Amino acid sequence: MGTDALTLPRPRPLAVPLAAFALALLIALALGITFGATSLSWRALAAGDETARQILLLIRLPRVLLAAIVGATLAVAGVTFQTLLRNPLADPFILGVSGGAAAGAAIATATRLSLIPGAVPIVSFLGACAAIGAVLVLARRRDYTDPTRLLLSGLVLNAFFSAIILISFSLSRQSDLTAALRWMMGSLFGTTWLEVGAMAVLLIVAMVVLAAIANDVRMFVFGEDDARSRGVDVERVKLIGFITASIVTGAAVAVSGIIGFVGLLVPHIVRLIVRRDIRALLPLCALGGATLLVFADVLSRTLTPSSELPIGAFTALLGVPFFISLLRKSR
Amino acid sequence: MTLTMRGAAYDYGEGRGLRATDLTLADAPQLIALTGPNGSGKSTLLKLLARVAAPSSGEIAFEGKRLREWPAKEYAKRIAYLPQDPDPSFPMRAIDVVVSGRAPFLGRFEWEGDSDYEHAANALAMCDAAHLAERYLDEMSGGERKRVFLARVLAAQPKVILLDEPLSALDISHVQQFSALLRDVVDRTASTVVFASHDLNWAAAYCDRMLVMQEGRIALDASPREVMQPDVMRTLFGFDAQAVEANGRTWLVPRV
Repeated sequence: MGTDALTLPRPRPLAVPLAAFALALLIALALGITFGATSLSWRALAAGDETARQILLLIRLPRVLLAAIVGATLAVAGVTFQTLLRNPLADPFILGVSGGAAAGAAIATATRLSLIPGAVPIVSFLGACAAIGAVLVLARRRDYTDPTRLLLSGLVLNAFFSAIILISFSLSRQSDLTAALRWMMGSLFGTTWLEVGAMAVLLIVAMVVLAAIANDVRMFVFGEDDARSRGVDVERVKLIGFITASIVTGAAVAVSGIIGFVGLLVPHIVRLIVRRDIRALLPLCALGGATLLVFADVLSRTLTPSSELPIGAFTALLGVPFFISLLRKSR
Repeated sequence: MTLTMRGAAYDYGEGRGLRATDLTLADAPQLIALTGPNGSGKSTLLKLLARVAAPSSGEIAFEGKRLREWPAKEYAKRIAYLPQDPDPSFPMRAIDVVVSGRAPFLGRFEWEGDSDYEHAANALAMCDAAHLAERYLDEMSGGERKRVFLARVLAAQPKVILLDEPLSALDISHVQQFSALLRDVVDRTASTVVFASHDLNWAAAYCDRMLVMQEGRIALDASPREVMQPDVMRTLFGFDAQAVEANGRTWLVPRV
């Protein structure tokens, strides 16, 4: 140990990756707005063409923005769960959110409640909230929430919801099932500005809450005892984190159905590019998740001219090769 | 500095845990070895002192104030704890591990500043680990990792350092180096260090005081010289030992 000036190996500034991720998102948004069932002509738009304006404002823009917001939400929820549970396999649906939401939607379909506009998102959100509540109660042990019990409870509850979904579907009319199945596979078809606005507000609130506990959440990396010894109120932070991440996930599922892989994969992809703790990963995952889902959405609605393919398939088709190439490059 | 336990107990159920225990850590900085058979309550004792677990009965106080009256971050600035073999759930550089020991000093939205990195770099240097700063934990040997984690504890400049089996899984030369390093930490930082260890000979060679636990109690709180006796080993560890004098110290070897 010399007396030579100590260089401080601080991590590299975040500005560079943030700018790069933001640029990727901008490119994705531009592509998403331009391409679709009919290509949007920017020239016609500039010339004041009314049809082009209608397509942009009523169809393309809300849909592309919702894809970005839902992608950001799922990725942010995913990185929060992975960090709090110290489990790289955790995803935003871990508390049974997807099962609860899908069961809600299935019941709405069987009871023909789904014919009322806006009913499916509301019922599925209620289902997601019921699942979150049930899992948190099941995982409670004396005065603490046990991560292992939490994972198990989520798993078991999802199985329980699967049963409800199967029964509801067999009681549903054939003609109602197509819409329900499309919703379960994830779809951004027919996005409204109301959904965009509601999701944007929720995402912003969730980001602020998660940023406020991020200094504590990142201390979970060496386990709960270690975090406690560094002055972290572990139980409080877990509850705030789980509930915040699950509620926004429930809302995302309610408006867009069950879109897999974004919440699981994006945190890993971002972590392979920028090796930092969750304080830095939160904004980067938000941008990365938004980018991936906007790209996936473009593909899902342009590859086949007459119909839309399920967006959840493209998050995996795009995300998995990218993830594998990064994994092979890393140590 | 005074850290006291009065009748503190912790019950895991089935009679395991810690029974009503009294303990005082006070005055001059000391290197204290915490020994005893497996399951005798060493880890529990450290967790209670670290405020990681709350006693089911009895009281623990630091500087005359009960632990639960201390704001968590204020206590964490003064008392540091290292669990046995912590393993990060995601890859981390040594410097980031060490600087995270400064967490109690940060505000809600505040990130580590230059002074935190200076504390971290100094702590790494004290543990002879400055060269490891930018390496990842999973690229390191067990001995290197233990130095990094000791540095993390030191980065907060605590008054009391509680280490759960810091010598486990080290080869004999690293056990000696690490024991000497702990001695060095006490002498240079004036912190009191309590470490759980099964390595009686090395612990006795370097420490000022030994606590021997048995079935959830502190059975003996004495100087190394008093503990390192064949009859003590027989009653407390069920170990048939023979005392050998060498280099002015008593060493215990098995009687075979």
